Amino acid sequence: MDAATINYEAFREEVRDFALTRCPPEIRAVVATYRKLSRKVWYPWQRILFEHGWGAPSWPREFGGTGWDQRQRVIFDEVMAECDCPPQYHHGLRHLGPVIIEFGTPEQQARFLPGILNGEDWWCQGYSEPGAGSDLASLRTTARLEGDEYVVEGQKTWTSHAHESDWMYTLVRTSKEVKKQQGISLLLIPLNSPGITIRPIRTIDGWHHVNEVFLDQVRVPVANRIGAEGQGWTYGKFLLERERLGGANIAPHHKALERVRALVAQELKGEGRRAERELLQHRLLRAEAELLGASELGRESVEAVIEGRALGMLPAVIKLSTSVTMQTISQVALDAVGERLAPRFRRIEGEGPNAEAPGIEWVQNYMYARVRTIYGGSSEVQKNVIAKQLFGM
Amino acid sequence: MSFQTTPIVSGDTYEMAHRFAREVEQELAGIADPAAQAAILEKRWAQLTALGWTVTAIPEEAGGAGGDLGELAALAGGAGRAGLALPIASACGVVPALLAGQAALADVAHGAMRVAVILPGAAQDDPAGALRGGATLDGAVVGIETPPTPTHLLIVLEAPEPLMLLVPVTTPGIESASYLRIDGRMAADFRFAAIPINPSWVLARGPAVLQRAAAARDLGALLTCIECVAAMGALLEQTIQYLLNRVQFGAPLASYQALRHRVADMYVEYESLRGITARALRAAAQGEGEPWQAIAFAKLRLGEAGRAVAESAIQAHGGMGMTEELPAIRLCKRLMMADFEYGNRVFQAARLLADAA
Ligand SMILES: Cc1cc2nc3c(=O)[nH]c(=O)nc-3n(C[C@H](O)[C@H](O)[C@H](O)COP(=O)(O)OP(=O)(O)OC[C@H]3O[C@@H](n4cnc5c(N)ncnc54)[C@H](O)[C@@H]3O)c2cc1C
Repeated sequence: MDAATINYEAFREEVRDFALTRCPPEIRAVVATYRKLSRKVWYPWQRILFEHGWGAPSWPREFGGTGWDQRQRVIFDEVMAECDCPPQYHHGLRHLGPVIIEFGTPEQQARFLPGILNGEDWWCQGYSEPGAGSDLASLRTTARLEGDEYVVEGQKTWTSHAHESDWMYTLVRTSKEVKKQQGISLLLIPLNSPGITIRPIRTIDGWHHVNEVFLDQVRVPVANRIGAEGQGWTYGKFLLERERLGGANIAPHHKALERVRALVAQELKGEGRRAERELLQHRLLRAEAELLGASELGRESVEAVIEGRALGMLPAVIKLSTSVTMQTISQVALDAVGERLAPRFRRIEGEGPNAEAPGIEWVQNYMYARVRTIYGGSSEVQKNVIAKQLFGM
Repeated sequence: MSFQTTPIVSGDTYEMAHRFAREVEQELAGIADPAAQAAILEKRWAQLTALGWTVTAIPEEAGGAGGDLGELAALAGGAGRAGLALPIASACGVVPALLAGQAALADVAHGAMRVAVILPGAAQDDPAGALRGGATLDGAVVGIETPPTPTHLLIVLEAPEPLMLLVPVTTPGIESASYLRIDGRMAADFRFAAIPINPSWVLARGPAVLQRAAAARDLGALLTCIECVAAMGALLEQTIQYLLNRVQFGAPLASYQALRHRVADMYVEYESLRGITARALRAAAQGEGEPWQAIAFAKLRLGEAGRAVAESAIQAHGGMGMTEELPAIRLCKRLMMADFEYGNRVFQAARLLADAA
């Protein structure tokens, strides 16, 4: 079907109807109150989508994808956000799947894709290391070939979801002889392999998201290497190319803005608090203007992809600006509820007398929002990339 | 040599308070269990009162040390530099100010009485359930900072008649839930169910009560600012050290201009807060002009600068900035929480606007 024959409005209605009738209310409540999206929340929804044939909107049809065009995918993401369905940002589906589809052997595709699609296998991303964050190419976890196995030795860190995953797709160094980007390979490592230790990292928002993963003489079959040895960096780049539209979905941001606007009205009710209320409302207006601009850039990006034009710096611009706007929105929320709720913010997930205090999620949200300018390409690194293009040097 | 901050009020008291606070911080650092942390705070609180911190500003005739505002500022600064997780502004400043001239002051001085303060406008979940007096005490307050195991609540009520009450926490009908805040300080929610007001609780009544409460709140805000200037200075030093030591792309992060400028911005924020706080301290100490205004401006600035500096420090630390690992990040949380003590920046802005109108 080409764009001329697709009725996008009807499609939007169909998706909305599905979301509202099929996504369990308890799951939507988790999303609506910004509680932790763990595998427990994600999996059942992925299962429902899978059974409906919508498990992998961004994959080609022959691998279980929907065959939707770019615009339909955007509509799908927008409606998901609007209806508080968990965003399909799991690592297997969004990150690893496309790489296996592009670079995996038919055996690897048959072995790994179905579990990703139906949600039975859960994946995490083992890229960052203590010494390799922004400078990822300096990673030092090594994989030494011994017969038909690699022996992996080293440490990963900041590994989101490692504690609830079955597999980690991992960048490892297979050669020290060449330029640092070239000696890197991509291995798929079962997390129940002997020699793996996973330790939680306590983060400032009190949730357990990230882990340290220690690899001590972990044996991984060569058959678990994706693509050629030494080409892992290229696959990482490929992924970024594929993912660059991910940030163009501003719908969750608009949703957060609406929620905070309602929160401000609710928290700072009445004539007595009018001045305080208006100070916050003014900041939200400025955030809204930024989001409206970003939405338009998102729309342009989608058009560009549909028409096969270059995206240029737009994805980086959208990421830079919306990450800060989301931080602003979370700051306003904190200002609205802080006196009442910041002191009561629980340190540890689900514990303490105030774990269920209504609105407490805004404190967590504020703390967690700090990461938006750190991960997925920190703001400083993105600005370096943009400036290089602007100056041509 | 890299940057070292200068305290607003230096001297022996400052050094002593800083040493104490640093020891507490080191002792708490390795401990995740809230109950174990609370036990440490309890022990340290006993030491701190034995050292005489809480009598600093109590007049000699009431059994205190008769120190002035400068002495209090030195304590707050020293404690703040290491993010001491104990209520210094409240216990050393606000409580003695509220209880001035009262017999209870002697019990506070001896450490026999541990007081949590509830001022008018204290936060509550349901505005209809705000704390109120009359024949009985009803309603609830949440997020009240407390010393370890408080014995009394010092409550200032606005309506129907201004009252200052000193209520034993064990009074039947008071329900409390206590917890640790993200900056490691203790806090509690209190619920009051139709508790008849015992005449012996009433310390004062009438409009003067509200004036005293407002002045005490401002003293709390001022001491909080002083504490936070010191915390911010320490945070700046620690961020600089981190960037000097962390290597990415083959060079220390401190060599990248984007980060150098970020740190320069943090420094400007720090100096700006230090300036307005020093001014507020002078105004308050000398009764110059309208001290409340200078304090409101300082506290407004603390809200903005505190958050900007904390957020910048987190950003500069990258992923490490998101963890509980580093003392620097614990200082960030202290700065974030301080905004909400004694009137946040929105509250301060609103009262400055009302005054200008
Ligand atoms: C909650 C969370 C989840 C994460 N999930 C994952 C995951 O699942 N898998 C995974 O592999 N990784 C994950 N990460 C890691 C994340 O990608 C890194 O934190 C990020 O790449 C930054 O690296 P770093 O933390 O080492 O900071 P650093 O690289 O040390 O950076 C510190 C600061 O220096 C700045 N900086 C660095 N280089 C320059 C330069 N040349 N010029 C100017 N400024 C510079 C940075 O922008 C930052 O502000 C996660 C991180 C967090 C916090």
